[in-house]
Amino acid sequence: MTDAVTMEVKILRSSPSEGVPSAYQHFTVQGTDNMRVLDVIRSIYENQAGDLAYQFACRIGRCGTCAMRVNGVPVLACQERCKLQMRIDPLSPFPVVRDLVVDRTEVETRYAQMALTPAGPQSNARVRPIAPAVAEELCHLDSCLACMVCVSGCPAVEEHAFDGPAFMLKLRHMQEHPADNGDRLGQALDGGLLECFACDACTQLCPADLSPAQAIRDFRRDMIIGSKPK
Amino acid sequence: MLNISDIQVERVNVLIAGSGAAGMRAAIAAHDAGASVMVLAKGPARANHTRMSGGRYNAVSGLNPMDSPDAFYRDTVESGCNINNHELARILAEEAMDRAYDLESYGLAWDRKVPSEYVLSMTGGGSFVRTIGSADEGIGITEVMLHQLYKRGVQIRDFHMLIEVIRDDDHVQGVLALDLAHGVWRYIECGAVIIATGGTSQLYETSSGPTINTGDGIAIALRAGAELVDIEFMQFIPISFVYPPSARGYTLTEPAHYGMRHYDPKAEAAHLHNKHGERFVLKHDPVRKEGSTRDVLARAIMIEILEGRGTPEGGVLMIPDPQVFEGFLRERPIYVKRLLENYGEGQARLEAPIQVMPSALYTLGGVRIDPWCATSVAGLFVAGEAAGGVHGANRLGGSSMPDIQVFGRRAGMAAARHVGATDRSQTSGFEAARARANALEAPLRSTGGLRPPEVKKRIQKLMWDNVGLVRSGDRLEDTLRQFRELRDNVVPTLTVMGKTRILNREWMEAIEIENLLDIGEAMISASLQRKETRGAHYRTDFPAIDPRWQANIWVQKLGKGAWRVEKKAVAAPTALAGAQLATAGAAE
Repeated sequence: MTDAVTMEVKILRSSPSEGVPSAYQHFTVQGTDNMRVLDVIRSIYENQAGDLAYQFACRIGRCGTCAMRVNGVPVLACQERCKLQMRIDPLSPFPVVRDLVVDRTEVETRYAQMALTPAGPQSNARVRPIAPAVAEELCHLDSCLACMVCVSGCPAVEEHAFDGPAFMLKLRHMQEHPADNGDRLGQALDGGLLECFACDACTQLCPADLSPAQAIRDFRRDMIIGSKPK
Repeated sequence: MLNISDIQVERVNVLIAGSGAAGMRAAIAAHDAGASVMVLAKGPARANHTRMSGGRYNAVSGLNPMDSPDAFYRDTVESGCNINNHELARILAEEAMDRAYDLESYGLAWDRKVPSEYVLSMTGGGSFVRTIGSADEGIGITEVMLHQLYKRGVQIRDFHMLIEVIRDDDHVQGVLALDLAHGVWRYIECGAVIIATGGTSQLYETSSGPTINTGDGIAIALRAGAELVDIEFMQFIPISFVYPPSARGYTLTEPAHYGMRHYDPKAEAAHLHNKHGERFVLKHDPVRKEGSTRDVLARAIMIEILEGRGTPEGGVLMIPDPQVFEGFLRERPIYVKRLLENYGEGQARLEAPIQVMPSALYTLGGVRIDPWCATSVAGLFVAGEAAGGVHGANRLGGSSMPDIQVFGRRAGMAAARHVGATDRSQTSGFEAARARANALEAPLRSTGGLRPPEVKKRIQKLMWDNVGLVRSGDRLEDTLRQFRELRDNVVPTLTVMGKTRILNREWMEAIEIENLLDIGEAMISASLQRKETRGAHYRTDFPAIDPRWQANIWVQKLGKGAWRVEKKAVAAPTALAGAQLATAGAAE
């Protein structure tokens, strides 16, 4: 069912605050072919490099905090199956704290500025009527892990003033929410909605099987024909 | 000795440790009551146990006319084998629904088939269909709450590990925290501390929780002088993934296991077979069979595995019901994906046997609290999985989500009120914080000792083998001896490979080890004292329930190596909960 494998792994290590420049360190890891990238990194930490900085918590694709690049592709380390040859880099384009851990301060500030809370009374002890199909869509959009895999893999983010697909998805979540009264389309436009060139890379990469590209298409449709009344 | 300038001093009214739902709900309530609030998260704020939950939420919604707060309360106490703190259990039953409405006002959408009625389902141990849920599970709950914190401008400090609560003779003065990302110590003066750091599932080799749940807050409260209650009870989920390594121990949610019983309490749950094809659960619970409570199922599976009737990978086989596949796909698509990726298409379609094993899930006991989450240390409050008493000896599936909302809010309200009522200058705690920080720098200076991950694994193996699902006096005693040996001879020489202060995981683990040993020792001491089998606590040398043990055990740490372990009468049922509710409503 599982086969023993030998993996050649190189990890980009650095510590900017300590003045340690980026350099690849090479490791050979004995393991099995059903290991995830995270399993390989943990094995390196436990057996070869106790000083390796990496982040994970849930190990099952829910906390969204172990995103990194494996052979150039942004992935969640806990979800990505290991490969015989791996080049592992911290998640670009975010600033590195140390080794594979990135600083999310800007990301969280961006979320906070977007005010992603519906309006309305906060303590009315009653059911707020929501059409079942809308509730289902809200749940779907609210399962974004905020892992930044899509932002890392978005070519528009690299080249233009675009916040990135994940933020468009969260704005769409609010747009669909019946109790929200924010100008979400306006926010999306300010965040670079029109910079997306519809390559769909975000949807291909999303570890939660969401489609930020669809959220972007929905906003663009609203621009032309107007949004549905709530 | 560290210089005074090596510790950065800050000040806040209410300091909350933990960024899961209990901590976030406490932050919302404390902020709304007028307090300045700071939340410490050990990792990024999203790395918390709530987020990993299926988010299933027990509450009396009024949609099932058979159900009532009293029935929920009785189910809670029956499942807890009658040693719950009855008042806490009643508050849970009475306030759960209002907190579910709060979540919806934050932006969550509970599953529904008509606009104003939630979909109800069954969970383990409940006698009525009462559980609501949302397809975005714990992710949705934590996301909407995090954005409420952002809206309120609550300070959230990522990568800040709570190290110690600093107190004088009669009151909390502040906390010592380690800013892991900058390698900087912080002393945070405050009028109240809320510990919401979750449980200690990382004490065990196989566990379902996040890797940061090393019970730090429970151990810190213990060292600050608070008592633990019911700490001998650790809940194991019976049904979790067996492989691959990263997924081992992760909960396989209940619809797959319950089959049609998910919708109908009279239907049968999925059968469990050992490697000989025997339905071994029938030996343990011929009446409820595989629909039995989590404690019975987990133990039954563990015994099969320990006695060599498990699969080569270390599990047993669950025979799923393909009838529930469509519903499962709709309600829990993420698990279908996991089954597909981890096991294969047959398993994902619920057509082929699925390997499952038990896993450490939830710390049932914890810090002893009153109905407003106050501990015996003035100014120290505890909420959520770190607290004990709500669930007793076993917990209903779907009851942790309301627990952390109900008591998170209560802790936040009470802490804000407490701060308003006291006017204290807190600066005297700094020297104690500095001395503690200095001692914890040892692994950075040390050479030649064992590495922290190695020692942590040794602790986890000992706990899994001897202080887990199957316990006995001899093995508990032996484990206690080994823990003391580790504490005396290994911990003082712990050595980290890299001496960097920035995100030094080994250093963090060295600090966690002391917490794990404190809770492990408390758990073993209480387990030794409880000479019976009850709920999640199973003694092979005392395999029956003993009515004389319908009592709680309180554990207090008196100093180095000195413990007080006392049998106490269960807090009596009370009619006060209604009055408490009125107070709660008026205060918000």
